[in-house]
Amino acid sequence: MEALIVQLRRLQETALAELTKISATKDLTNWRVQYLGKKSELNALSKQMGGLRQEERPLFGERVNEVRNALEAAYLERQTALAAAEQALRLAQETIDITLPGRAIGRGAIHPISRVIQEIEDIFLGMGFSIVDGPEIETDHYNFELLNLPKDHPARDMQDTFYLSDELLLRTHTSPMQVRTMERMQGDVPIKVIVPGRVYRRDEDDATHSHQFTQIEGLVVGEGIRMSDLKGTLESFAKALFGPEQRVRLRPSYFPFTEPSAEVDLLCVHCHGEGCRVCKGTGWIEILGAGMVHPRVLDMSGYDSTRYSGFAFGMGPERIAMLRYGISDIRLLYQNDLRFLAQFARA
Amino acid sequence: MKVSYQWLREYVDLADLSPEALADKLTSAGLAVDAVEPRNKGVSGVVVGEIVAARQHPNADRLRVCMVNVGTGEPLQIVCGAPNANPGLRVPVALPGATLPGGVQIRRTTLRGVESNGMLCSAAEIGLETRLLPSAQATGLFVLPEETPIGEDIVKVLCLDDVVLDIDLTPNRSDCFSIRGLVHEVAAILRSRHSFPEHIEAPKGAGESPIAIDLATERCPRYEAQVLDGINQTSSPLWMQMRLIAMGIRTIDLVVDVTNYVMLEWGQPLHAFDADSIAQSQIVVRQAHDGEELVTLDGQKRTLTRDMIVISDPEKAIGLAGVMGGENSEITASTRRIALESARFDGSSVRRTGQRLGLRSEAQQRFEKGVDPAAISPALARATALLVELGGARPIGPSVAVHQERKAGDSWQIPFVPEQCREALGFAISNDEMEAIFHALGFGVHRQEDKWLVEVPSRRADVTLTADLYEEIARLHGYDNIPSTVTVLPVTPGMRDRRQAMLAKARVLLVNMGLFEVRTYALTSPDALAPLSSPYRPIPLLLPMSDERRVLRTHLLPSLAEVAVHNLAHQVPGGAVFEIGKSYLTSELPLRSQPQEREVIAMLWFGETEGTLYEKARRYDFYDAKGVLENLLAALGADASYVRSAIPWLHPGRSADIVAGEETIGVVGELHPETAKAFGIDRAIYAEIDVASLLATRESDMQAKALPRFPGSRRDIAIVVDRETLVGDLLRTVRERLATSGLLQGLRAFDVYVGEGVPEGRKSVAITMFFQHAEHTLTDDEIEQLVATAIDALRVNHNAQLRS
Ligand SMILES: [Zn+2]
Repeated sequence: MEALIVQLRRLQETALAELTKISATKDLTNWRVQYLGKKSELNALSKQMGGLRQEERPLFGERVNEVRNALEAAYLERQTALAAAEQALRLAQETIDITLPGRAIGRGAIHPISRVIQEIEDIFLGMGFSIVDGPEIETDHYNFELLNLPKDHPARDMQDTFYLSDELLLRTHTSPMQVRTMERMQGDVPIKVIVPGRVYRRDEDDATHSHQFTQIEGLVVGEGIRMSDLKGTLESFAKALFGPEQRVRLRPSYFPFTEPSAEVDLLCVHCHGEGCRVCKGTGWIEILGAGMVHPRVLDMSGYDSTRYSGFAFGMGPERIAMLRYGISDIRLLYQNDLRFLAQFARA
Repeated sequence: MKVSYQWLREYVDLADLSPEALADKLTSAGLAVDAVEPRNKGVSGVVVGEIVAARQHPNADRLRVCMVNVGTGEPLQIVCGAPNANPGLRVPVALPGATLPGGVQIRRTTLRGVESNGMLCSAAEIGLETRLLPSAQATGLFVLPEETPIGEDIVKVLCLDDVVLDIDLTPNRSDCFSIRGLVHEVAAILRSRHSFPEHIEAPKGAGESPIAIDLATERCPRYEAQVLDGINQTSSPLWMQMRLIAMGIRTIDLVVDVTNYVMLEWGQPLHAFDADSIAQSQIVVRQAHDGEELVTLDGQKRTLTRDMIVISDPEKAIGLAGVMGGENSEITASTRRIALESARFDGSSVRRTGQRLGLRSEAQQRFEKGVDPAAISPALARATALLVELGGARPIGPSVAVHQERKAGDSWQIPFVPEQCREALGFAISNDEMEAIFHALGFGVHRQEDKWLVEVPSRRADVTLTADLYEEIARLHGYDNIPSTVTVLPVTPGMRDRRQAMLAKARVLLVNMGLFEVRTYALTSPDALAPLSSPYRPIPLLLPMSDERRVLRTHLLPSLAEVAVHNLAHQVPGGAVFEIGKSYLTSELPLRSQPQEREVIAMLWFGETEGTLYEKARRYDFYDAKGVLENLLAALGADASYVRSAIPWLHPGRSADIVAGEETIGVVGELHPETAKAFGIDRAIYAEIDVASLLATRESDMQAKALPRFPGSRRDIAIVVDRETLVGDLLRTVRERLATSGLLQGLRAFDVYVGEGVPEGRKSVAITMFFQHAEHTLTDDEIEQLVATAIDALRVNHNAQLRS
């Protein structure tokens, strides 16, 4: 038996030595067949057990199993190691330049004016307002007269108008929709609407004027609407648009279709009230015109001014876009240079 | 409106309130002050001096050597280049050490060998606006009146320590177009007293007034005139000139300056006629006759119309009421007697006349906004008194005043309920505080329990309604004191309607497909629209500002083409843009009613794609546009098909109408080469969706169906058809033929091939079909039969051959 044991040990040594020389998983199979297969030397040795004494057999059998197990274990270990090395190599070879761009999925941009309009719409939708649209070609009647601006009223000078005929014009503001909305509602309350839209004035185009621009009008009509409600509503709006630290300041002003009227200032979005170049050192920037709906406008639109009251406001998305995005020339908004527009690609 | 701080301070106690602080208070009360400008532009060390002697400079032809008495004993020797540096004149003298506007420092110096101890100054050199001075004072040394004290600081003499507030008056506050109105306003804001007189006692001449007045138009409610004799036609005193200049009015001579001064002070424009030019000494205020002519003071011959008001005598017009006097009644050096007019004319009429004639004087602006009837008499009395005092004039008789029956009330009453005011404004303010505010404004208050009557003086024509009183209360209590509250209204849902929601979605979808939103002008030129040969004639503006923007667009393509041209000219190689905008369509011109405003989503692809590592730059083509449209319309729930278009400005072979249901909802196509050329671009693809039509189509269903439990099978076939055959037609044939089976679940073309192996004039189309049955797995036989049916239909309808 001693001789067989020696042979076993030598076999194990040889097999393990062979195994370490193998460097590719595909060559492992041959080794396995040679040392662990049916026709392997180990199998042949184990078959010689029959020639041993009865009492030697279990011991020898045990030795054979030990060798087999050792070889199996070595095989598995080697296989795992080689496979890992091979995969690592393959992955290394598959490495790509991750700094190259991805396949382009074209992305344009919403126009900055539309961005501002949508944002403002969403704020007022959240406050329960609806959005209404109206005609850009208006009658003198709706654009002026029903807004308490009779013909030859000196305040018509405030808005130089593009006329298409004696009676038809390009609306100079979105305010005619105040009247049209009240007429459509036929005395129902509450009215809570905003009106975004294009408007036109006979202004020479320059860095701060555009003959075409946009406005957002707001109108609330109901019973018991107070001037303080106007301030509260605009303050909520300002906080939603520019941040919770916002405040509004009202200054007396004049619009023919509101009484009392106010200019509405917000804390300067640039310096937050410290005073800077944008706000000309005042800490405030003028953003809206507003006021309580003029009793004559209410009465002309079918709402008894002794019973109902309301407020209206108007603002310019261009001005807000210019403040928010640091645009210094309004003409950039209408030039539609894609290099300019591409700066607004953020969703 | 420019206003002198010192003039205001003459009537109202400003205490220690600086001009800047006053400006803040005015702004807070609704009179926005745009600028606070000191009159002194940097003058110090300049005094009044008298030239006692002047001789020729020995070494310079144009210079004179003057001896100037500045009140310090020895006269100063000063070299001067002004042609009017003559002995006896009192002029501003900048002493050594003086500073002039622009930081100019005056030093003792030697000019061509002669010592000069200062500088004699012109108006410009001491910072006066020469355009507001009489031409004689605008150049050369600024000549001061003979009685000006020698040695006096010029800052004091010329009131340069005054400060001018530039107030941006809102159109309703015509009352503040005067010192009088501003004094009342400032006193109300500060709750302080003022000393502005309400009445002026005019010096009365003996006897009767020689003038008679006839009001022959209702557009002149009141007219008053005073005749004066023996006026000394001189210049007005310095203080008056300086106040006029401070408030931006040109000084001319005593009579004109006094009328302007009183206008600034009282807000009531005055006019002076040569009384002897008025035939029969009778003033007739009437409407002009159509075609009547009048040469106005500016020398222009004006042709008048019936709706203009003229001042006339029984023979001729002598002035355009409230706008400009006539040359035939102008005050000249030979004028003996003058007639001063103080009147009220209809604002609208004055405004129209001014607009028609292109005139816009200070007086006219005041008439337009309305003058205070209560100021007409005192203003005339004030002017009379000033002419008597400053020009030695003698009034002839009293003034003559005529007014229409309907005498404008000097005040009116407005009902006011304090509790309702508090409710309307939303803040707490006591009744007494409200009453105090009204009193500060000069309004009377009749308290009757909780119902008041507030009496408003005629100078506040803007206050006629209860709401106007609310504003006065809010304004003077301070808008800053208004709290922020929340409306107590029923809850309303805020949501976009179907159109608004759809457009918001479309905008995001298009952006995510690489298109940039643009916003273009609705106004354009007929030339820009010409390439489209539209059946609609564009609607023109009555008064365009430029040729490029004189009609409303009838289509969006020219606007987008302009965007393309701009970008291609600015190193942008190409791109895709869209606009949600309107075109304006009418079939009747001139326009009689509101036209159709057609809203579209317009898109344009121009130039090249941006090349990437994975796909080379290439020109945009029809299928780029169609891909976007398919995606967009699917996302918006519209089932669309594409039919060859016959639009002449598109490429006939590369354009399609977009059809949903029975309706054409849009178009897509490459521009016709001639159209593209006309727009100055090379090649571009245009598409538009009509928003109203899209909204009118039925939205596709979104209903979940159970997923099939049995596998389906795919079959590919390749057929050969004529080149002109549309793949869409082939697919429709298959779809229709197999429709009844209900088993065709997928169908598309995956290859179109022309070339080797395909006969001339034919093309090979590979089609894949996917069949599936809900209840069982289809057998090969069933599938083969379906495929055979499809092939048969293709053969019959399209002369298709199966390609082996
Ligand atoms: Zn700031």
